Amino acid sequence: MQVAIRGIGALGEGFSDWDGLRRVLAGGESDAEQVAPRPQLIPANERRRAPLAVRLAVEACSQAVAASGLDAADLACVFTSGLGDTDLTDYMCRELAGERKQLSPTKFHNSVHNAAAGYWTIATDCRQPANSVAGLEQSVPVALLEGVTQCLVENRPVIIAFYDIPTRSALAELFANREAFAAALVITPEDDPAALARLACEVEADPAPQWPQPDLPPALSHSYQYNPAARVLPLLVASTGSLNAEFSLPLSGGTRLQCRVSPTGATPNNPAQEVNP
Amino acid sequence: MYFPLLDYESTTGAWLNSARMRTAIASKQSGLRPNDLAGSDVPTWIGRVAGVESLDLGPWASRNNALAQLCLAQGTIRQTVDALVERHGSARVGLVLGSSTSSIDRTEAAYRELDNEGALAPEYRQPLVHNPHALGLFVAQHLGLTGPVMTINTACSSSAKIFATAARWLQAGFVDAVLVGGADSLCLSVVHGFHALQLVSTTPCRPFDAGRDGINLGEGAGFAVVVGPDHPQASGGPALTGYGESSDAHHMSHPHPEGEGARQSITQALQRASLAPAQIDYINLHGTASQANDLIEGRVVEALFPASTVCSSTKGWTGHTLGAAGITEAIIAIDTLCTSLVPASLNLEQPDPALGLHLARDNQARELRHVMTNSFGFGGNNCSLVFSSASGAEAPCR
Repeated sequence: MQVAIRGIGALGEGFSDWDGLRRVLAGGESDAEQVAPRPQLIPANERRRAPLAVRLAVEACSQAVAASGLDAADLACVFTSGLGDTDLTDYMCRELAGERKQLSPTKFHNSVHNAAAGYWTIATDCRQPANSVAGLEQSVPVALLEGVTQCLVENRPVIIAFYDIPTRSALAELFANREAFAAALVITPEDDPAALARLACEVEADPAPQWPQPDLPPALSHSYQYNPAARVLPLLVASTGSLNAEFSLPLSGGTRLQCRVSPTGATPNNPAQEVNP
Repeated sequence: MYFPLLDYESTTGAWLNSARMRTAIASKQSGLRPNDLAGSDVPTWIGRVAGVESLDLGPWASRNNALAQLCLAQGTIRQTVDALVERHGSARVGLVLGSSTSSIDRTEAAYRELDNEGALAPEYRQPLVHNPHALGLFVAQHLGLTGPVMTINTACSSSAKIFATAARWLQAGFVDAVLVGGADSLCLSVVHGFHALQLVSTTPCRPFDAGRDGINLGEGAGFAVVVGPDHPQASGGPALTGYGESSDAHHMSHPHPEGEGARQSITQALQRASLAPAQIDYINLHGTASQANDLIEGRVVEALFPASTVCSSTKGWTGHTLGAAGITEAIIAIDTLCTSLVPASLNLEQPDPALGLHLARDNQARELRHVMTNSFGFGGNNCSLVFSSASGAEAPCR
């Protein structure tokens, strides 16, 4: 199954966009201390109340769509978070463990796993299908599989968003993630001349699938280990290179997602066809 | 498109399994009761599954997982899955599940019993349970499935969208069969959350009634086995023949006022099924009994379908099972292809005069070939499904 990557967005500790992440991956200086996304797509009064998980995902998606040159309203959506909005889980369970049990209606509707996909489709007036999926540690390969399958079977462009927030509650002893991370990919089915890279994915049987250990700078190693969304880093690392890169991601107990990224040499402002006619 | 269903099973507050579903529907026996959920004083009615509390799942303990395990012990669903694993190998059987609450019931319980330092008590240190993929992880482990597994969490459309993903996975060819399913459990989060939104009724819910005043929460689990058109076990029985998925792009918890997203998901499902609206013999409506949903869904259906299309909401039996509503109502709709019995819209006394729907006020015996079910969720997330029987009433049924 092969698709074209048209745009990439990313933000996390030390980088506020895909260019910033590429600098960090190349061993350069980080450009942001705190992850505090303020996506302009969400109206200011709603943005103040929007949970961090939503703002992370919407910001990463905004960047990826801008780089792709496509219209967000045309993109089917596949969103994934491995841990969900643990801030809201904490709020709800704390309130419900008390006497009053009075939930904020806004926080309640924001607590659904598809809150980020909902905000994104509302902000971009997108009526396309929006999926919101979970795979715990396997969330990245699961969402890649869903996104690539939709892209090819339905023959339509898809945006895939990966995002997880730090766990700051009683659940932190189970999920040690201390860092926010989000990334987004816009993929298209056609052999797209504006592709930044081509991505091929196949499901292969594997009785003991293992995570790759990419050569990451120390600043990214905590996220890669503990933030389920950051498991997309092997793909992002491969997308920065000039050579074909193969890696595999554990998909389930008996399968892996075998991936190959083939850079085209294109950049968002410099399509491959001009570089390499 | 044509994706045969080899088996299906349903557990709700109104029935333990699909055999009893037929009895409960034929006798119009509702599963709703006054709210007796432990720790909740919200005055409403609920569709609670009896006996879930007594199941011991050890490290997988949660009400949601227990509901799934209870349902998988019914009928022949377990044997059907085991036979597919035998035939294709466990890595070639996919698992696509839907849930909205996941195991939040267990996280609520964990928070009631935090120790003095605010830490989890030992029996609640369950990372595989306190997360949105808990249902997928549990069912894979319980059935010994090792193929691709995904949990869809799109609120009340979760376990409708599982059919669309299963069809795509089968078409892409990396699995030979898919077990789809869903489970959602009653918990304080949903009863008190919908109460905060002023959406729950103090009486048994009355979908599409002029006097409807809100929803009843319910719980349930359901599973179905989907295979490709050329699968050797495909027998000409009920099959998935269409799906549509869309977004409202309007509001997190209020449907689009003109039902734009609902219209798109219904229209796409008909297109994929290559059917005209008049060919749909029965629609199992989302029909939550909220003022807004029923009015908007009703207007969309009225505009798209002829007056002869029979519709009902079955929430009067089960309550709104949220993330399990998609699979529950898909199975109700699928089973009508076998029983030739359209379930009534329970508790409908005075149909909403603003709507001209052909609502089934009583159970109706009729020949059915193509049926539809709608599921609409928070975030403006919509899914419609079409199921067909290859040869009408002569089709082999389970």
